[in-house]
Amino acid sequence: MTSAIAAVRSALPFAALIGVWWGIKDVTGVPDTMLAAPPAVWNAFVVLLTHGILAEYAAASLRMIGLSALISFLIGVPLGFAVGTNRYAARALEGTLRFVQGISGIAWLPLAILWFGFTGATTLTIVIYTLIVPIIFNTMTGVRAIPENYTLALRSLGAGRLRIMWDVYLPGALPSIVVGMRLGMGYGWRALIASEMLVRQGGLGDLIFGARTFGQIDRIMVGMIVIGTLYIVVDRLLVAPIEALTLQRWGVLRR
Amino acid sequence: MTSSKLLWRLLPTLPAATILLAWYLWFVIAPPPPSVMPTIGAVPETLFNLAIDGRLPADIAASMARLLGGVALGVSTGIAAGFLAGLCRPIAAFFNPLIVFFNAISGIVWLPLVIGWFGVGSPLALFLIWNTVFFIVFQNTVLGVQLVPEVLEQSVRTLGGGRWETIRSVILPGALPYILSGIRSGLGFGWRALIAAELVGATTGLGQLIFSGAEYHRADVIIGGCLLIGAIAMAMDRWLLAPIERRTVVRWGLVARSSGGHNR
Repeated sequence: MTSAIAAVRSALPFAALIGVWWGIKDVTGVPDTMLAAPPAVWNAFVVLLTHGILAEYAAASLRMIGLSALISFLIGVPLGFAVGTNRYAARALEGTLRFVQGISGIAWLPLAILWFGFTGATTLTIVIYTLIVPIIFNTMTGVRAIPENYTLALRSLGAGRLRIMWDVYLPGALPSIVVGMRLGMGYGWRALIASEMLVRQGGLGDLIFGARTFGQIDRIMVGMIVIGTLYIVVDRLLVAPIEALTLQRWGVLRR
Repeated sequence: MTSSKLLWRLLPTLPAATILLAWYLWFVIAPPPPSVMPTIGAVPETLFNLAIDGRLPADIAASMARLLGGVALGVSTGIAAGFLAGLCRPIAAFFNPLIVFFNAISGIVWLPLVIGWFGVGSPLALFLIWNTVFFIVFQNTVLGVQLVPEVLEQSVRTLGGGRWETIRSVILPGALPYILSGIRSGLGFGWRALIAAELVGATTGLGQLIFSGAEYHRADVIIGGCLLIGAIAMAMDRWLLAPIERRTVVRWGLVARSSGGHNR
């Protein structure tokens, strides 16, 4: 019952938005090459969906972000542990990481294109570059927040480095790592779309930028809606529950 | 003792030194063509040449003007809308789903659509920066406004202060640290959005400079441009935003903290 009310409540502003959008289109009479009317966008959506085009482009984007997230996790978390636990590693890497953070992934796109051409490798490099920095920083913050007593307790019981990493650092830093993953996926998703626009080898960014060259505004708007919806679905239905779960299970450790 | 101190001093330069060494060795062992990688010396040389022929100052000026304009737009509209939503919860509740959705597609996702509205040039970049900065500043302002302890508002009201008085002397200073941290990260993301926008949506600017480097296979231009982009981002953050934020936290951040203590 309450969920039905909530659904109506969140659908209402979108209904209002569509009303305003339709009104603007009707009253001002802007040409279809600038703004498509809601029915046209719906038709384009149906066409893209039934021909399997939408599924193909969306799957390419989702595969790429998933692969990037996996690789960034596997490299970023150990690096974050190193920077978080070793003051020499921290001293050596922190400044460079902050500088690198100021150069967005997209800025490296021209160089990546020279190196790897207009291929998936270019996009993968850019997205990993974007995704990995928040993972490293959040892993580092998480590890630093673990009370030293836990490490000392395990060490006095004779545990080695690996054991401490597995039993103290990983569970202790996990909530923070998940926060980093969530942030990174947000930044990475945007970098992915931008990269796909320029590389033009599939993916939703390619879909909307390609539609632009044919002036298919209705397709662009379908693509934008799908990009936003997929991001929200992945973030709310996949990443947020994992975050809540880790906080529930391991978050207590930090107190 | 002194040698370990020296090591500690030099440690931050280690990553850059490693990269330079690898770069140098690459050229010693198997020199790549200049379209793949320039020599180390070529990068400062190219930057110098671009600087004296006037291209680089013009590109930096174009990018900075767009950044300032876009951020000013994003910050002013973000704060205004943030106050409105923060002070009037029904409005915030109604618009929240839209905010979530448009936040998800903020920035570069708009490019294919709005390039047809504005054409290639500054208005396009301004729109994309505004679109990126707005949501960050908006969300921070709402948070800041809502986190001001109600006791403070009530005390001003008890002393006879009106609605406007409460906003001016309680909510604005209370929310300011949040707003400023929003502006700080907004500027960082605005800079990124600008570079992305300039890659295809402009004829001048640093983004266009590096993109033309790809078209003409000039890796030296790209690497020099990227380093410059990073240096400008870092300089803005360190010398402009961090001091402002620190000052306001010292001046006003205490308000929230001490009252929080009294509340509990």
